[in-house]
Amino acid sequence: MADVPISTILPAYQATAAPGARSPVEEEVVALFDQFRERLLRYLLGFGLAAPDAEEVIQDVFLSLFLHLQQGKSRDNLRGWLFRVGHNLALKRRQRDRAGSLTELAADQQTAGLVDPAPGPEDQVLASHVQKRLLAAYRALPERDRRCLWLRAEGLNYREIAGVLEISLGAVALSLARSLARMERCAKR
Amino acid sequence: MPMPWDTHLPDAQLLLALDGELSTRETKKVQRHLAACWKCRARQQELERTITDFARFHQENEIALPSRDGPRALLRARLAQLSRAEVRPRHGWIWAAALAGCVVLFVAIMNVRHPEPYRPAAVAAIPDSRITPGATLMTTRESVCAQPNTNNRAVPVALRRKVFAAYGIAGASPRDYEVDYLITPALGGADDIHNLWPQPYSATVWNAEVKDALEDRLRDMVCDGSLDLTEAQREIAVNWIAAYKKYFHTDRPLTEHYRQ
Repeated sequence: MADVPISTILPAYQATAAPGARSPVEEEVVALFDQFRERLLRYLLGFGLAAPDAEEVIQDVFLSLFLHLQQGKSRDNLRGWLFRVGHNLALKRRQRDRAGSLTELAADQQTAGLVDPAPGPEDQVLASHVQKRLLAAYRALPERDRRCLWLRAEGLNYREIAGVLEISLGAVALSLARSLARMERCAKR
Repeated sequence: MPMPWDTHLPDAQLLLALDGELSTRETKKVQRHLAACWKCRARQQELERTITDFARFHQENEIALPSRDGPRALLRARLAQLSRAEVRPRHGWIWAAALAGCVVLFVAIMNVRHPEPYRPAAVAAIPDSRITPGATLMTTRESVCAQPNTNNRAVPVALRRKVFAAYGIAGASPRDYEVDYLITPALGGADDIHNLWPQPYSATVWNAEVKDALEDRLRDMVCDGSLDLTEAQREIAVNWIAAYKKYFHTDRPLTEHYRQ
């Protein structure tokens, strides 16, 4: 006979057996997926991950989020949490790929929307002279500065960016100021 | 924060002010400085122009992404799977008990619903899955097959009463029903109320002896390696009559199993 009280097992069984029943946490995670998937995907493509790999990282991000919420952990700043976990998982995946130089190149191309070196629609979008210079300046930035600038453009505040990149608030401010100054100089040339 | 009026503000400070990242006190200081310093005001406007340019660049260069429908459906499926795994007990002592072969594991059945106000079930050849979903010990094929295939243990009287009560036939005579195991102990079934149901002696076609024959067949298949133990438990729990038809290739009980 079982040593474990039946009541500890029964809810698990019922949860298993109930068809189509979804917990509020599941629904919340899916709602956040709808809200942030595209933004996260663009951010992750900037790491040079192939699209399927980036999608897989996003799945892992939201499964981690589910566990995070399920365990009753903090709901403060979930946007920052999503980018931070996505950033770390993408770094791990990229390290695993062991193709640093190629992925860096791919990252530049993905970020710029210029995967195809031949003139394409993306190039036409970059019709303005200023924008072409901005692109060149952006691509010349160190990776951390690029991430910083991208995250700020995504609307993350300094604290969130600092959390994602694991740097200080001061470092975020200096990185942004440095990047903007470089881009400004390039645009003026 | 020292802010002498004879020095200009660094870009980082101007940017912090633009982005609303300064405290109220610091913001007021910067505003006072900007009100007095044309150079810093002009510099802040230049920074703002660059930000505007970059924001436009960021927006206009968004690459087209594949639809979220597929990834969304995949996430839903994975969440459902994870959700099921999450609600299982995770305490070490429970798993220790499981390893000792003492944990009751309920067998998944497709048609079980969430608890709802109980209505007495119609007692029939197939148990009500809400009350008797089937329960097994955490055991292995080797362990099951090492045990002799003997007759089932007698169900204690107190447990029989509970089973009758659960089926809304508390006052029924024990002579009218055999309290039977849904999953036989010979296949790892547990001595648990969720694995017991009152099988009416009045059932003349699909009766206990027919079920016994199925149990023997499934056990033989499990022990000769042609059927997985978990699958055998599941099939017998879901619908033992359907399992009998499947494994004996017949729509009716075979004569040698059928008690006239």
